[in-house]
Amino acid sequence: MLVVRDLVKKYGDFLAVDHLNMEVERGQIFGFIGPNGAGKTTTMKIIATLLAPTSGRVVVDGIDVFKDPIKAREKIGYMPDFFGVYDNLKVKEYLDFYGSAYGIEYRERRKIAEDLLELVDLSDKKDAYVDTLSRGMKQRLCLARCLIHNPELLILDEPASGMDPRARAEIKAILKELKRMGKTILISSHILPEVAEICDSVGIIDRGKLVVQGSVEQIIQRMTGRTVVRIRVLRDMDRAISLLKEQPMVTSVIQEDQELEVACKGSDEDLWQLLRALVSSDVPVVSFRKMEGNLEQIFMEVTSDEEMAL
Amino acid sequence: MKRWLYNPVLASSLKTRMRGWRTAAAVTAYLGVMLFIAYIFFKISVENGVMYYLSFSSSRSAGLRVYLMLAVLQFALILLVTPAQTAGVISSEREMQTLDLLLCTKMSPLSIIIGKLLSSLAFILLLIISSIPLFSLVFLFGGIAPEDVAMLFLFYIITAFAVGSIGIFYSALFKRTVVSTVVTYITIFFLGIVSVVLGAYMMSVHYSQVPSPTDHYIPFILYINPAVGLGDLLARQAGDPTTNVYYGILGLFFGVSRSLGSPQGWFQKLPLWIGNSAVISGIAVLLLCASAWVIRPYKRLRCKS
Ligand SMILES: Nc1ncnc2c1ncn2[C@@H]1O[C@H](COP(=O)(O)OP(=O)(O)OP(=O)(O)O)[C@@H](O)[C@H]1O
Ligand SMILES: [Mg+2]
Repeated sequence: MLVVRDLVKKYGDFLAVDHLNMEVERGQIFGFIGPNGAGKTTTMKIIATLLAPTSGRVVVDGIDVFKDPIKAREKIGYMPDFFGVYDNLKVKEYLDFYGSAYGIEYRERRKIAEDLLELVDLSDKKDAYVDTLSRGMKQRLCLARCLIHNPELLILDEPASGMDPRARAEIKAILKELKRMGKTILISSHILPEVAEICDSVGIIDRGKLVVQGSVEQIIQRMTGRTVVRIRVLRDMDRAISLLKEQPMVTSVIQEDQELEVACKGSDEDLWQLLRALVSSDVPVVSFRKMEGNLEQIFMEVTSDEEMAL
Repeated sequence: MKRWLYNPVLASSLKTRMRGWRTAAAVTAYLGVMLFIAYIFFKISVENGVMYYLSFSSSRSAGLRVYLMLAVLQFALILLVTPAQTAGVISSEREMQTLDLLLCTKMSPLSIIIGKLLSSLAFILLLIISSIPLFSLVFLFGGIAPEDVAMLFLFYIITAFAVGSIGIFYSALFKRTVVSTVVTYITIFFLGIVSVVLGAYMMSVHYSQVPSPTDHYIPFILYINPAVGLGDLLARQAGDPTTNVYYGILGLFFGVSRSLGSPQGWFQKLPLWIGNSAVISGIAVLLLCASAWVIRPYKRLRCKS
């Protein structure tokens, strides 16, 4: 659906995007993660036809974005990281205006606007002036706006920034709904755990380079070469610890209250071996959970490796 | 055809602009200022006996003077209002961070620019129309026909178009509305002064070189100044220049030059105000295209559809 090839963007001598390659498959949610100034916004603006790259190619649904930006725009819904609203428009007029700017007929766009307001849960605000909405509502309205022309690819630049946890959860729910509707979504964030839950795959960008790309699990595996499981036992904590330490794949065991955090190398097969060893020794295991890993830490590692390399 | 004419930016602004008290207040303030200045003008004129001295006996002449005063006053007000209306349209979109949202729609940069300009011109047109009752005073005296007023209003629109496109160009060029507004006023003031001074100088040089001038010479620089066109238009409408003080002031060069022989090229044969309208409209079109070029996302890359 989205293919980015050797994308380069220079601001003067400064390389904001450095030979970036990535691919997002249709119907997937791709998390575009990176620290401040990594080049996320720059890349997304380029994909959204709002910025000319220095070199490289972006193909959206078979359309070369730079050769045919007008056609590409029909496929792309872009939500910028910072955006404003016109102060003299009502919510439904706001959507109506952008609908007309996308060349949608009056009747049709009125219908679409109602559906979209329903989707983002702003139906009861449709007669409110846009500038009276709260930040979270504006963000949802902007999300509705970028859906108005029924694009297939959504480019959302930090859609949940500055929102409270509940509002984040709402946005996530909307994104899941959009995924169900078959949309492909590119979403940026500088917090990996925040989007990890909804993303099918993520790419971590740092200083204009895509450092890693893959599913969240793959990235954790590749970056740390280990899996973390949390094990809770009913009793016999000490016996469990000594048993675990004997296992070859286990690299560390940390006791945390009634739980054990066990780091181990290897695949799911090894995990099963581990569990079997515990159970067959009559350790009363009540919970055995594979952790998503400490994403925050991985993120820090990934983005600081580069620093050391430089 | 209808779809082609439809401009979302214009449609939205027409719809929302008339809402609330702001536009109504602006029109009221505009008419208030115009009435106030007109009143002061008459008071001073009557007190100084200027009106009387200038053959006030003739009702036609009095009507003419009222007309000329109102015409110049409204022209000045349009010159003042138009930059304020246009110099922020793109830069404020940038400041509000809505320009990108607009640029990634199906609207082309040029149609965005045109929509913005037409919205501003619609407001100016509203001001002009609201001044019709004031102008109809003139008909009481006679001497000016409705078609003269219509012609004058047309010239106003052309002037607003030209001045507005300068404002839009700067607002596309500069990031901040304040900067673009200031630069627009400075440019208009500068062009107005420089064109007249330079034009007068070129004429004096031209005629001093020819001992007994018989040709009709208008320096091209004068064509960029709508005040010159206004002077010509009003002079034509007022008829006999010798009975008209106003004509003596602004139409000085043209009165002189017109009395000297017949015009040379086809362009100079056109009435000056029409030539002037054509030149400023042409410049305006160029500025609008330049503005569209400035705001389009792809500057170097080819982006034909
Ligand atoms: N117009 C510009 N001119 C010069 N440099 C720029 C410009 N826009 C961005 N940059 C630089 O490019 C780099 C990448 O910026 P970008 O906005 O893409 O980062 P980001 O990943 O979106 O960061 P954030 O998480 O803070 O939004 C930054 O170092 C920034 O300073
Ligand atoms: Mg950013």
